[in-house]
Amino acid sequence: MPIFEVHLPLLDEIKTKGLKLALQGMADNAVERLTSGLGISEVRAVMRDDPPPRPNPRLKPHAEGFWLHMRPTYYNNLLDGIYPSFLLGWLSTFFFTFEIITGIFLMVYYTPSPLVAYDNMLNILSNVPFGRLMRDMHKLGAELMVAIVALHMLRTFLTGSYKKPRQFTWATGLILLLVTALLSFSGYLLPWDQLSLWAVTIGASMAEAAPPEIVGKTLNLIVRGAPEFGAGGLLRFYLLHVIFLPLVGLLAFGVHYYKVILHGHSLPPEAEEVGVDTARKVPIKVRTYFMPRILTRELFWVAILLAIMVLWSAYLFHAPLEPHAESLITPLHIISPWYFLWLQGMLKLGDKVIWGVILPTILIGGLLFLPYIEVGPSRRYGHRRIGLSAAMLFVAGIIILSFMGTPFYGVDTSPEQEAVAVLVPETEPGPLRLSDWDELETGVYESAAWNIAPNRTLRDLLHTFNEEIEIAEYGGRTGWEGVMVIEDWQPGLKKITLRVLWIDQATGDPGEFNNSTYLHQNSDYGQGE
Amino acid sequence: MKLTVVLGTLSFFVLVIAIVFIAANEQDRMESFTQSYQSRQIETGAALFENNCIICHGPQGRGIDSVGPAINAADLFNGERLGSFGFSGTVENYLRGVISAGRPVPSEGTDFPERMPTWGMDNGGPMRDDQINALVEFIMNWEEVALARGEDKPDGGTPGEGVGTDITIALPAGDPEVGEELIAGTLACAACHVLGPAGPAWAAEAGIPGIATRAESRTSQDDYTGEASDAVQYLIESILLSDAYVVDGYLSGIMPANYSQRLNVQELADIIAYLQSLP
Ligand code: HEC
Ligand code: HEC
Ligand code: HEM
Repeated sequence: MPIFEVHLPLLDEIKTKGLKLALQGMADNAVERLTSGLGISEVRAVMRDDPPPRPNPRLKPHAEGFWLHMRPTYYNNLLDGIYPSFLLGWLSTFFFTFEIITGIFLMVYYTPSPLVAYDNMLNILSNVPFGRLMRDMHKLGAELMVAIVALHMLRTFLTGSYKKPRQFTWATGLILLLVTALLSFSGYLLPWDQLSLWAVTIGASMAEAAPPEIVGKTLNLIVRGAPEFGAGGLLRFYLLHVIFLPLVGLLAFGVHYYKVILHGHSLPPEAEEVGVDTARKVPIKVRTYFMPRILTRELFWVAILLAIMVLWSAYLFHAPLEPHAESLITPLHIISPWYFLWLQGMLKLGDKVIWGVILPTILIGGLLFLPYIEVGPSRRYGHRRIGLSAAMLFVAGIIILSFMGTPFYGVDTSPEQEAVAVLVPETEPGPLRLSDWDELETGVYESAAWNIAPNRTLRDLLHTFNEEIEIAEYGGRTGWEGVMVIEDWQPGLKKITLRVLWIDQATGDPGEFNNSTYLHQNSDYGQGE
Repeated sequence: MKLTVVLGTLSFFVLVIAIVFIAANEQDRMESFTQSYQSRQIETGAALFENNCIICHGPQGRGIDSVGPAINAADLFNGERLGSFGFSGTVENYLRGVISAGRPVPSEGTDFPERMPTWGMDNGGPMRDDQINALVEFIMNWEEVALARGEDKPDGGTPGEGVGTDITIALPAGDPEVGEELIAGTLACAACHVLGPAGPAWAAEAGIPGIATRAESRTSQDDYTGEASDAVQYLIESILLSDAYVVDGYLSGIMPANYSQRLNVQELADIIAYLQSLP
């Protein structure tokens, strides 16, 4: 008896069938294993969109393969188009995956410590091939994902897909919404620049407001790792961002999608009789098979979306990078990312506890239990006038609150700081830094005389400055004037002083506010960061 | 279906071409970002220097006699200064080291009244590494002008013409506007008295009247230790013999003691005319 036996069936086959046929057989075998069931000729047939033979071998990968066993073998023809899903759930999944991939790339170059985090960002931008592209795509993908997930939620509400039997799908979806929001929020801190530190600081202050005080204080300590953001807070946010939230997200997504398949994708409301759910029963005549149609279209979308994301991030969208985080310097206007503006708006309405803690909690709780409370049987639009109107009001409310979240609403700052901040805002480059350096001729310019400034750039800047000076208002002050002084400071470096002057009516004393900005010829703020 | 396949394949090719194109430009892009970041560091450094350093090193880093050495000076960049004590690293290394660690012990042959403070966080100061680097970039950006200016020492007076230390000297008529220019120039008075807090502010602020008014009453103060008998004499004394009377809340020895050699009579008169215009 041999101790060790090797048997290469290929050799036997070559003997019996000849080399060519044997190799073909082997290739066919390999493909069949990879696709869990489709041989070469069948893969070709799928690509040609030939009608399937009977029994349909294209069902085998769904039965035997890991990836496709999660996908339905066929869809109802009614779901084949854009309506009713608008592809939004699929897009949410696409961006979740996209974020994981671009995020892992960024992780390679990032250390969550206040000492080096910002340096790491600079390194990614200046020294890592494709570093900026990856960073921009990750940021862009994150913003799109928030929008898409919210729209997906809106659409499942509009088509009444949250109703029985899909209540639990909705509930897990809400967890996914929270995960998405928290992922954006935690990721926002990681670059450790002025923008990120302060936007996240406002957000985290909501935790601090949770009553009673001892709970708020403790919560704040847990979130930030110390009374203020520092090494501890950054590490915590990083771990939330790269481990905890993605894990929760993946688990919730698993349940979410399992439920989607279990109940079947809901049909357009008008296609069913009121109160019945026929999603699972798809008559043979109206089936669209996953292979090849759905699969092809998904690959099509992947190709389109990847091309869009790459081109958009390479040429249009650049993630900002402001100066290093500075816990002692609070920027004049702290603006949260657009998808949290509504929260910032609510915080302005009054008490932090009510508007920042209690109301959002009620909101989330209400949405979570919505399908168990709103149990009207009909999914038809005509039968849901109240629900649909409420949704529209809700969306309108969010939009109004978002506007209120911007500095245009209800922020009192001193007009002199405001006037300066129009030209040199603290959390974005702003018009002065973006202007043509060569045109900043040395001299002293009065904003009121903007129209006689020597060139276009100066006229524009002074005009903008002057518009703010003209509307400046502050109890007991008059005679507002704006002055811009441009000096040569060093080779290639200019110092631009913006000065706001006023007279105190009561005492007749003059007052002034100065702000100096240094601008280098090659600082090139135009490129985005 | 056909259209889907065609469009999908097409956008796949667009994707590949875009990536190849980006890859081809990546080197340039990284270089341009590096340059732009360095430029922004110079900007940051300029602001840090204005806020922290000019009180001792003077406006534009030209130095203040007997307070802080010039940094915007040829001998720092041409290697003379470093060579004189055998430092073998680059000027950047030197700057980074001195700024971060400060100079707790005075260098030999100097008699600066205050020490160069420690700035780097690593050494117990307030600044992060990137801020120290920004200051270094900013100082290095003087190299060109400092070398072009060559040996001429930025400060230092016009020996032989000094007014001396007689506070009863008769002054010619002074021009306050010339005085204002002088104090903002290399005499660097403005660094301590106008821009920074190292000396008492001249302008009226926070309820304290301006220097012209203060000078009127100083000589009749109980704690007055000087020799002056009127406001003008007091001003002359404060400038030429500043330690004769030390203003409450300030240290003696901070204000340079060499103005008696650096100023001529006319300049002194101009400066005093200017000071008297600040009620
Ligand atoms: C309290 C006054 C003071 C301040 C403020 C100060 N310095 Fe200095 N600095 C000095 C003195 C005094 C020396 C000379 C020390 C010695 O050689 O003993 C010095 C020396 C230096 C030197 C070395 C010069 C040489 O040729 O050896 C550099 C560089 C320097 N300072 C940079 C700075 C920078 C940058 C700042 C602002 C962040 C600053 N200094 C703030 C007083 C000061
Ligand atoms: C390095 C900082 C420094 C510089 C430069 C400096 N001073 Fe002073 N000055 C001081 C300090 C500190 C005091 C207060 C201590 C004292 O009286 O000696 C003072 C006091 C004065 C006073 C008295 C103020 C009062 O309230 O009574 C006058 C006047 C004055 N300085 C004028 C000048 C003039 C003019 C110059 C330039 C030619 C000048 N100083 C340059 C630091 C400086
Ligand atoms: C990361 C976030 C999410 C992902 C990746 C995701 C993914 C998906 C996918 C792939 C589907 C099936 C396709 C479709 O109907 O569009 C789906 C369906 C569904 N989702 Fe989500 N979803 C997310 C968030 C949400 C949220 C926030 C809600 C609502 C609170 C929600 C509620 C639903 C419901 C009710 C369905 C069933 C729709 C139907 O059967 O017609 N999902 N989801």
